[in-house]
Amino acid sequence: MALIELVDLRKSYDGEVVLDEFSLSIRENEFITLLGPSGCGKTTTLRILGGFTVPDSGKVLFQGEDITNLAPNKRNINTVFQKYALFPHMNIAENIAFGLKISGKSQSYINDKIKYALALVNLKGYEQRSIDSLSGGQQQRIAIARAIVNEPKVLLLDEPLGALDLKLRQEMQYELMRLKNELGITFLYVTHDQEEALTMSDKVVVMNRGYIQQVGTPEQIYNEPENAFVADFIGDSNIADGIMLEDYYVEICGRVFKCIDAGFGKNRPVDVVIRPEDIVIGRPGEGILDGVVTSTVFIGMHYEMCIEAGGFEWVAQNTVRHPEGEHVSISVIPDNIQIMNKPQSEDEEAISLEEVLGEEGEQG
Amino acid sequence: MKKLYSAPFIAFILIGTIIPTCVVAYYGFTSRDGGFTFDNIAAIATAEHAKALCLSLLLSFAATLICFMIAFPLGVILRNSKLGQKRFIIFLFILPMWMNFVLRTMAWQVLLEKHGVINMMLESIGLPGLSIINTPAAVILGMVYDYLPFMVLPIYNSLSRIDESVIEAAYDLGADKSLVLRKIMLPLSVPGIVSGITMVFVPSLTTFAISNMLGGGKVNLIGNIIEQEFTTSSNWNLGSGLSLIMMVFIVLSMALISRFDKNGEGNLL
Amino acid sequence: MKNRRFLSGLYLVLVALFLYLPIGTLMVLSFNSGKSMSSWQGFSLKWYQEMFSNQEIMHALGNTFTIALWSASIATVIGVLACIALNRMNERKRSFFLGLNNIPMLNADIVTGISIMMMFIMFGISLNYGTVLFSHITFCIPYVILSVMPKFRQLQNMTYEAALDLGATPVYAFFKIVLPDLMPGILSGFMLSFTMSVDDFVITHFTRGAGIDTLSTLIYSQLKVGVRPTMYAISTVIFIIVLLILVVSNVLTSDKVKKKKKDDYKVSARFTGKRLFASTAVFVILMGLCVYYTVSVGKTDSGSSTVYVYNFGDYIDPDLVSEFEEETGYSVVMDYFDTNEEMYPVIKNKTADYDVICASDYMIEKMIGENLLEPIDFRNVPNAEYLTSGIRSVVEDFDPGMKYCIPHTWGTYGIAYNKSLIDDETLRLMESGEISWKILWDKKYEGQIVMTNSLREAYMVAAEILGYSINTTDEKQVSEMTDLLIEQKPLVYAYANDNCRDLMIGGSAALGVITSGDVLYARDANSDIGYAVPVEGTEVWTDCWAVPASVGNREGAYAWLDFLLSEEAAEKNFEYIQYAIPNTQLPDFSGDPVLSPSESVLAKCETLKNLGTEGDDLYSRYWKKAKDNK
Repeated sequence: MALIELVDLRKSYDGEVVLDEFSLSIRENEFITLLGPSGCGKTTTLRILGGFTVPDSGKVLFQGEDITNLAPNKRNINTVFQKYALFPHMNIAENIAFGLKISGKSQSYINDKIKYALALVNLKGYEQRSIDSLSGGQQQRIAIARAIVNEPKVLLLDEPLGALDLKLRQEMQYELMRLKNELGITFLYVTHDQEEALTMSDKVVVMNRGYIQQVGTPEQIYNEPENAFVADFIGDSNIADGIMLEDYYVEICGRVFKCIDAGFGKNRPVDVVIRPEDIVIGRPGEGILDGVVTSTVFIGMHYEMCIEAGGFEWVAQNTVRHPEGEHVSISVIPDNIQIMNKPQSEDEEAISLEEVLGEEGEQG
Repeated sequence: MKKLYSAPFIAFILIGTIIPTCVVAYYGFTSRDGGFTFDNIAAIATAEHAKALCLSLLLSFAATLICFMIAFPLGVILRNSKLGQKRFIIFLFILPMWMNFVLRTMAWQVLLEKHGVINMMLESIGLPGLSIINTPAAVILGMVYDYLPFMVLPIYNSLSRIDESVIEAAYDLGADKSLVLRKIMLPLSVPGIVSGITMVFVPSLTTFAISNMLGGGKVNLIGNIIEQEFTTSSNWNLGSGLSLIMMVFIVLSMALISRFDKNGEGNLL
Repeated sequence: MKNRRFLSGLYLVLVALFLYLPIGTLMVLSFNSGKSMSSWQGFSLKWYQEMFSNQEIMHALGNTFTIALWSASIATVIGVLACIALNRMNERKRSFFLGLNNIPMLNADIVTGISIMMMFIMFGISLNYGTVLFSHITFCIPYVILSVMPKFRQLQNMTYEAALDLGATPVYAFFKIVLPDLMPGILSGFMLSFTMSVDDFVITHFTRGAGIDTLSTLIYSQLKVGVRPTMYAISTVIFIIVLLILVVSNVLTSDKVKKKKKDDYKVSARFTGKRLFASTAVFVILMGLCVYYTVSVGKTDSGSSTVYVYNFGDYIDPDLVSEFEEETGYSVVMDYFDTNEEMYPVIKNKTADYDVICASDYMIEKMIGENLLEPIDFRNVPNAEYLTSGIRSVVEDFDPGMKYCIPHTWGTYGIAYNKSLIDDETLRLMESGEISWKILWDKKYEGQIVMTNSLREAYMVAAEILGYSINTTDEKQVSEMTDLLIEQKPLVYAYANDNCRDLMIGGSAALGVITSGDVLYARDANSDIGYAVPVEGTEVWTDCWAVPASVGNREGAYAWLDFLLSEEAAEKNFEYIQYAIPNTQLPDFSGDPVLSPSESVLAKCETLKNLGTEGDDLYSRYWKKAKDNK
């Protein structure tokens, strides 16, 4: 049985829909990530689950029980906030003890728990320190410690690593995975960082504009994006307009490529996704499309090249360098061509990433 | 060059504050004929002066407490409501100051008089009349009325500066509303409370106009005595001596209060 | 949930009601056709008319706002500069200066005002517009610093450095980058200073000089004779204007905010482009007007054709001033004080120079004794012949031979009673003139007695009862009188001076110690009010015009004195102040207990005498005991 069931949630602010037809079920001891650009509704989902926001319609079931209108303090769910939200007027021990004191635990139990939690987050002996004296990563770990001592069934994490630098973030990612395995708590993680999502999660939920775009394992999400939005959001992709001529044949830039997809019907416009590392570069005439290299950049481990071919700018990655101006051809093996339906209605519109990024400044 | 920036400020502090304070001290430690004396300072020990000071302390303490009890819930309500726009709050509380201080305090006489507006209203709905005019209660009311904005604004400021997520975190960890109020909102608004207390307590302690207008001449505060010495009795030396004592009390109480606000974060706007 | 919201709403409404109820009351009173605060006598706009035609008020209005604008502007500049400097200091130095900065805020207003005044006097600087401005700047600076300093703290130094990096000069970077960020703080500091300056009474009261009245001091100086409703009118107008400005600016900005983003409450007021230009323009225009005003004030204040008059507040018909100016070509600068004791040090220390002053009998005597007055050359005051013979004999008491003063108004002290609130026996005694001051000690009137709050008059009442002279300096007698006054305390509803009249009119008290001058006015507003001079006798008082020894414009002073004794001036003043005016050109009031006490009554009257420093100290020491809190 699912631990949490989100049923058809809908929420709008001042007439602006931020979440619609949102249904999701979360199993026990799962690390599930809500992934999407800013304003996609992932934080709203988390807040509904935490009890800070009441949905306009829909239900939240916790172990089969409706908790949609239950106050946050009555839920067996704890949150790690984006900006940690530590209590600035309390020291670390007091912060961690806050929830335990409320639930009326004995002082010796609380002391043990504080010790245990600090050990867990690698901050032994920090009990009496003040919040100001901690670095961002340390504050983050205290926030986690403060949440987990209450032994919640579910831990909600709202972009908890967003403020940390790259190295610290990677360390914290491993630490979070370790914690999850040690504690057996269900983690619901919100992030806009696809790498973070793919690294840690058992299951990734890609969201955009209040709708779920795709739910799946990290591998599924990466390798088989269901629409152009997912493809674009997860990793770099070439997304080209194509026409599905018939099963297993797609026309791109006037040339016919072989693929492994079927069932789209005949002569149907589709989106075609090809990952940069899947583009095979050969000498002119060897591949399917001929073109010219317009730029080459070394980005560590491999070169990233732009190739102008068939009126489309392809991004390709290869360990072999092709200098600017070189005439080349490109081809793709059928397995690496991903065919997707074009969006049919407003509701499932998959907008391009540029558009999303353009709005990021305004939506929080 | 850079040092010059502070020159006018320092000049004003020197000429506008320090020298005048020294002048007060000079008068306070001399007798009318110019000789050095402690009499003006020691005068606080006489029963009338000591009692007036005690009453002043008592009334201003009560006024401060009442202001706090009104202002804190108000701050919480304003923080949580959509009305909680800073401009609106400042607007609401600064605006009354544009009605002249003497007049708006006098207006309370009209309201509180035996057959005044409030009693007429109370009687018309069959309630017993209020007879607080010319009592210390009316003076406290006047203090609360005149200085409430100085309590509300800093408290509201401190409260609105608390990160929403800190409060949500407390709920998340199982705290109920009253616990969030007591353990999170209250301690985190201490800087505002401290500056609010200062801004209400000091003028209440030193007022003479409010007790004159609403006390019916029956409430004699230290401010009234000092004012009398400077005006009707023309005894500047005694007035200065008592002023010095009053300053000492203010400094003491401020020192006591400011221990709660080490960073000096509380401010009015 | 809904319940909670309702309660919150209710709470807000109650607090707002508390804040605005008195203001609403004043607004309503500004339309009262009567003068009293305690009774509604019909709707009228006359106070609004009077307000605009009253030069004093317009002058005070000008002073109030120019002082506020000047002091707020200067304090803002100084405060911002100080913040820049403070920000660069190390922690210890900064907290030292911030501590100093707090002193004016922590100091009692009265101490700040008095200490600055004493400093000016000590260094021989005469009080004027500049001294008021100086003290206002002094108390405004802390507000600016307290508003701007936190903004400085929030300011990220990086943006400033980024601007330098992009080639801006430090000055350019400050004005383009730092200043806009500080602007909200600066603006609120400015507005707060402006508001505080407009609202200030105490500090202005002590530091103002000749010709400088602000609305606050004008109002306070009127407390002696009762605040005229014109003051409610002008305050109402100011309040409404400020309200409108705030509402309009609030609506404008909140519209903008709504358009921008609905759920973003963090409105950062940015002052750039057009808005900055517009506000700068408005500010420059205001400052221009302000400079013009200040300069023009400076101009009219100088020259030998000006007569400087120092008078009790609202103690002359304002029309007479302009008539005098028209008739004689002099211009008049009139200042107001509330009590003799307030006037005395000003003349003694020459903190301001006046040509004519108004003062009460005992003060005239004291000032004659200290050579502060100049004998009047009566050849230059021909109208002095119209002074009544009655008043001449009264003046003998404090100015033998009437050499130094010319009586302006006079009257007695007695008991005002409300016919509907006293029993028949008391009423009979009152009407027959057989009443004793002891009625004020009668327990049946507990809580219905208004006793005078003025030291000398309170002791006068006690002295009459005990049969002592009202000028006794015998400590035993004073002590005995004090005991009597203490005995009376539980019965007293309120100690009041001018306010007694309003308490009587409103029916709050049955009996009150009142000066005859207030009776006509009280009777107009409430016909139940009567006046009786008790059988033991009472104090007769005279307020006189006199010329200080430091007179600058002697001719002007004489012209003024002579003008006020003319038939027209006497009539107008009588109508306006409603006090008895001892001028034979007025109708004969003899026999009227209020306006002209009979010989037999006058025979039992005494005038107050100057008691000397020791006498003053004695009384003030005992008076404090009498007023001591239980």
